[in-house]
Amino acid sequence: MALDPVTLELVWTRLISAVDEAAKAIVRTSFSTLSNEANDFACVLTDAAGHSLAQNTGSIPSFIGTLPATVRAVCAAVPPETMRPGDVYITNNPWIGTGHLNDISLVRPVFSGGRIVAFGATTSHVPDIGGRIRSTEARELFEEGFHIPPMRLLRDGAADASLITLLRTNVRTPDQTEGDVWAQVAALALIHDRVCQTLADHRLADLAAVAAEIFGRSEAEMRRRIAALPEGCWRHAMQTDGLEEPFTFQVAVTLRGGGVAVDFAGTSPQQPRALNCVLAYTTAMTAFAIKALLLPELPNNDGIFRAITVTAPEGCILNPRYPAAVGGRAATGHYVPPLIFGALAEVLPEKVRAAPGSPLWIMNLAGTDDRGRTFANVLFFNGGTGAGAAQDGVDAVSWPSNISATPVEIAERTAPVLVHRKALREGSGGAGRQAGGRGHETVVECEAADVAAVFVTERLRFAAPGLFGGEAGALGEVLIDGTPTDTRRQQTLQRGSIVTIRTPGGGGYGRKG
Amino acid sequence: MALSLGIDIGGTFTDLVLHDPDGLRSGTLKVLTTHADPVLGILDGTRRLLADRGVPPAAVSRVVHATTLFTNALIERKGAVTALVTTAGFRDILQIGRERRYELYDLQLVPPAPLVPRELRLEVPERVKADGTVLQPLDAAALEAQVAEAVAMGAQSVAVLFLHSDLHPAHEAAAAALIKKRFPQVSVTASHAIVREVREYERGSTASANAYVAPLAERYLARLGAELTGLGIAGPLVLMLSNGGLTHLQEAQRAPVQLLESGPAAGGLAAAFLAGPEEARVLAFDLGGTTAKLCVVEHGEPEVVFGFEAARQARFIEGSGLPIRISTVDLIEIGAGGGSIARRDAIGLLKVGPDSAGSEPGPACYGRGGQAPTVTDANLLLGYLDPARFAGGELPLDRAAAEATVARLAEALGLAPQDVAWGIHDVATEAMAGAARTHLAERGRDAAEFTLVCTGGGGPVHGCHLARKLGIRRLIVPPEAGVASALGMLAAPPRVDRVATLGRRLKEWSAADLDAAFAALEAEAREVLALGGWQDAALAPERLVDARCVGQGAHMPVPLPPTPWPVADAALHGLVAEAFHRAYQARYSRPPPAVPIDLVHARVVLRGRRKATAPTPRLGTAAGTGPERREVRFEAGTMTASVFSRAALPAGFTAAGPALVQEAGSTLVVGPAGRFTVLDSGNILVELG
Repeated sequence: MALDPVTLELVWTRLISAVDEAAKAIVRTSFSTLSNEANDFACVLTDAAGHSLAQNTGSIPSFIGTLPATVRAVCAAVPPETMRPGDVYITNNPWIGTGHLNDISLVRPVFSGGRIVAFGATTSHVPDIGGRIRSTEARELFEEGFHIPPMRLLRDGAADASLITLLRTNVRTPDQTEGDVWAQVAALALIHDRVCQTLADHRLADLAAVAAEIFGRSEAEMRRRIAALPEGCWRHAMQTDGLEEPFTFQVAVTLRGGGVAVDFAGTSPQQPRALNCVLAYTTAMTAFAIKALLLPELPNNDGIFRAITVTAPEGCILNPRYPAAVGGRAATGHYVPPLIFGALAEVLPEKVRAAPGSPLWIMNLAGTDDRGRTFANVLFFNGGTGAGAAQDGVDAVSWPSNISATPVEIAERTAPVLVHRKALREGSGGAGRQAGGRGHETVVECEAADVAAVFVTERLRFAAPGLFGGEAGALGEVLIDGTPTDTRRQQTLQRGSIVTIRTPGGGGYGRKG
Repeated sequence: MALSLGIDIGGTFTDLVLHDPDGLRSGTLKVLTTHADPVLGILDGTRRLLADRGVPPAAVSRVVHATTLFTNALIERKGAVTALVTTAGFRDILQIGRERRYELYDLQLVPPAPLVPRELRLEVPERVKADGTVLQPLDAAALEAQVAEAVAMGAQSVAVLFLHSDLHPAHEAAAAALIKKRFPQVSVTASHAIVREVREYERGSTASANAYVAPLAERYLARLGAELTGLGIAGPLVLMLSNGGLTHLQEAQRAPVQLLESGPAAGGLAAAFLAGPEEARVLAFDLGGTTAKLCVVEHGEPEVVFGFEAARQARFIEGSGLPIRISTVDLIEIGAGGGSIARRDAIGLLKVGPDSAGSEPGPACYGRGGQAPTVTDANLLLGYLDPARFAGGELPLDRAAAEATVARLAEALGLAPQDVAWGIHDVATEAMAGAARTHLAERGRDAAEFTLVCTGGGGPVHGCHLARKLGIRRLIVPPEAGVASALGMLAAPPRVDRVATLGRRLKEWSAADLDAAFAALEAEAREVLALGGWQDAALAPERLVDARCVGQGAHMPVPLPPTPWPVADAALHGLVAEAFHRAYQARYSRPPPAVPIDLVHARVVLRGRRKATAPTPRLGTAAGTGPERREVRFEAGTMTASVFSRAALPAGFTAAGPALVQEAGSTLVVGPAGRFTVLDSGNILVELG
């Protein structure tokens, strides 16, 4: 029976609100700053075949399509016919998960009438997963922490004690990391209950008909919007900071027959550093860019993305081979949306934005304070976004992720640091008919001896380019005691060391004047 | 006996209610809000109401007031020219904000503009560390010079925000005192005096909002007080707070940011008040032209949260407004009301709202040029509304216009028009149900334990369907309560909320220090109430702590046991930990992990006694002639419903659904599985089978 547009709306809204409710529960109970301050987690409901039906509304773009792929990978590892109600499966394999070990993903089959009608899946950035602390210096995955292949965490509601013990033993924050896993288990129980209630209220035996309609309608609309664009192949390339040598990013976006094919051939080879970005993450960033351009208003679901194919040569930084180090994949993957905007600028000049001052910047500080307490703090910094046809860029804002900066008062109360200044950088936005967003300058003094500082920074050498004659944003800068520092290597700060962080500005749009 | 007067200023109407404990001289009046000078409307209405009821002004022992003026000043950015003084190096705090986007896929997103423009954001040399060490003393000369410049540029109000002032307020206090002394014509808000919580952006946003509305509030409230006294009213003017409590004039002028949500708070109180004290758990449901509002009220107390967002850039989107860390009635607001527009979305599904036709042009059936199909149009086509008697017959509805616009949408969706009309009603109600379901689930509440109290023009129309979706069995529909909010306020207790940063683990607190931290807040709160003449004997202090497991980002308010507390550290630690476990378990349905407890803020809520106030019942005398009948569409299909006129129904009257009970401002729709009874109070009780 075909479902009418009213019933579909009612059921789909219920399913989306189920994952939104689960998301709120995770925000409140998680220990990871990345989950509770930065929405660095996701809750997804898939159909019985592992295709995404609903994703929580605030979930950041990195997770588009990743959890459904995890569900399918779990089903490939564990035959669904052997699953039971109350089972929960777990993995943090970057290639079938979200791109790095820090995100633990859980999958729970939703049973109704004695069979699997859906899967609930969650992923969350745990406080610690062992390995090196968020360093891009790792050369292989093995240095990056505890690796869990797809396996069973709960059988009939009972946890695998060996797995929990192993996990606790291999991480620095056993209580918090385990606590966050249980927060996800609770969120999955909530999704399970809400889905079953929705089925009962609407007298549905399963979600097959709902899924088919949502996917079919979404795919048709996405293809219609693609088909409205001129057919052809648009290319774009850019260079980024890289390591000793700059990295090259190259894309060819082909619009043909109501589909988009995105290929990253020509992009730099994978690196023996934790800057590689697995194809799942590359795909998520690509899907984000295209959806934001063409169909931003529709809730994420598998149908939207069926018209998009993403390929990248195996062994490049956007599709590295196991066991490449991948911990800092955002610093590479965040270049994908502006790359695609660059390619489609001529096709969609009113929609695209000039390049932003992202990827996200991070400074990790770890050491021992004067009272003898160890600390490990993560501070995030954002640049300005690129300008568009009708708006200036936004100053100092997270993009394409959505990570809040730590308040100064919190930073000073949890680590031996003194912040002297945090202010917008005048003139850092690229000039143009519309100006790029400004970055900010933050000046931090270290108040303990021998503090290890690890940075993730980009756009210190290659600024965010403008569009259509707009100028590039200002370069980012990191100084220690007034001297530019090598942010690709761990630095040691002494008492009184002053770190000056200047985040990059976004590119301008159109010629000024 | 002393009489009370309630005054509620809304966007369109100013509602007045005069309450006489003996009931004889009670009365109500609705007048248009006089936007240019709202005091005029109030005075005019007060004079008319008192004259009409034959009450001399001197007999009015107090005036309770709620207003949306200050919220509107924020939304429309029509407050005072405001300057912000910060610690040197941090003038951009308000502009940088949280560095997050409120919408992820909107490439054209525009963040909310800060209340203070950059040229009025001043930096002053001063610095206190988190441990209280003064790194740099306050530079008074620089402060004075900076403020002088801002005043020369037109600043009328100044907010002061120094880092760590929640712990160490001395510099902020000194700066505020100096500004007051040197620039007496300027309003001054020190952030710690409004909210002593950690996080500079949120505290600064709250303080700036206060500074932004303070000159308006000072002027307006002083004048209103004086004019009411001029009328001969002897009693004091008291103000409704956002948290549903009352405060006095001085406190309202000092911190008017506490009044931003006073209108909606009064609405929540009114629902509980009208339902009566026997309803212990109320879900207040108000459905107006553009929004639906839901609020949990237990034992007469509306649920309160300790922060909200004002003036959202994108209505209904979290994160798009200004964070205000002030205790506020916890209201869910959904963009689904009578004027909400139905449309076909990108993939052919039926969507309702949040765009609204408002009251101008309004729904298509208003015949004022509205072309888009709305919830009211659907309700008309379903047979719920009587086109000849809508709004007491003053606004005859155009059925043909509703049919035409719904038919156009039906064609676009590929459905029959009657099914689309039902679909609009159903989708709009589901939006309300979804929000309520999530809200209740997050608080560990079971909807089935609640009574739904329906107000507003649309509340009774959608109430039964909403209740069914939520599993609620009882509904109360008060008699048409056009001025209910104003009445509800009269029963509110005086209230003071105070907060201060604790910022250490539970185990690091001695029992004596922790007790002293709360006691200090209580003393402050008592002083505020004493200023209002509220006697100590009537006060019941309540202590809460914002707590979390060490490492968690979010904290939750935990009610603490009553005093006196044990003096032994271990005993008090045990009590607090137990309270935390209980609250955590109730909220998250699992015990907290074995991690130490972090105490973030201490909170004290001090309430006075509420006035015993009962509404006057309004009842009909006879059922009159037999009911009319009308074809009405429900979920199960079209049925013949009995149509009653509410004004004619006496107490004790009962009938089974399907039925409609009409009054001037609304229609109660009772489905086939429901039965309604008119209670002695004048309320209608609906029970769903």
